[in-house]
Amino acid sequence: MSNELYNKLVDLYAGRELTSELDQELEAAAAADQTLRQDMVSLRKAVDLLKADASPDYTEESYQRILMKLYARGATIQPKAPDPVHLQYHLPMQG
Amino acid sequence: MPNDALQDSLAEKRWLNALAEGDPTALGGLYELYGERIFRYTFRMLGNRTDAEDATAETFLRVVRRSAELRADGAFRTWLFRIARNLCIDKLRQHKLMELPPDAQYSGAEERTTLRVTVHQALNDLPLEYREPLIYCDLEEMSAKEAADILKISVPALKSRLYRGRRALRDKLGSAMERTQ
Repeated sequence: MSNELYNKLVDLYAGRELTSELDQELEAAAAADQTLRQDMVSLRKAVDLLKADASPDYTEESYQRILMKLYARGATIQPKAPDPVHLQYHLPMQG
Repeated sequence: MPNDALQDSLAEKRWLNALAEGDPTALGGLYELYGERIFRYTFRMLGNRTDAEDATAETFLRVVRRSAELRADGAFRTWLFRIARNLCIDKLRQHKLMELPPDAQYSGAEERTTLRVTVHQALNDLPLEYREPLIYCDLEEMSAKEAADILKISVPALKSRLYRGRRALRDKLGSAMERTQ
């Protein structure tokens, strides 16, 4: 099999896009080919690590700050939650 | 279509109709529906919370300003991500000029945190043409077709960039990956 074809198969293997039969066939071929095996294992590992990367936290503070930016730019918007605590009460200096 | 996706699709249609009719609550509805996804996407593109919040707000403001271009034909999400993408690219150009450092805010056990920062850093170090397919397909779990539509390229071109990007990421991760084995 050509190197180019192997590379394509390894790409699909890494993204778990091969059928289980092809997956097993490729693994069997890799048992006798250390370079191919290393390529398959390391690429799949990299993809798995990336996919396991946690989402950035979408915090309540971020939600509120984005809302404030929208208000400040004149957007009319109905928030899902009551006003944040710091906007619910008048500060003494505001009378 | 799974139940959640169907409900989101119906809600999207409702808010887009409301936006077309000039209903002032429409923006809030669309923000509730897509705010978190756009924030996550912009954070991954820009690498810091402040810029991600700015870009998210600006994305929704542009939705209102450009609502005349909208068609309720299922392509709204692609259009929304394109707006966010253009804003991110503008901000990345500014960063390049000003050399702003990304802030990676992570929590958890030290070793896991170190690995996450390494993955995050490796992703940020990739050229944009590789980074974007990885964000869309591997992190946001979009289909290749949807990612290709956002980038205005063909599906084979998207896949080619995705596979090259994964290999480039593996090369960047290098020794960090060996430590996890």
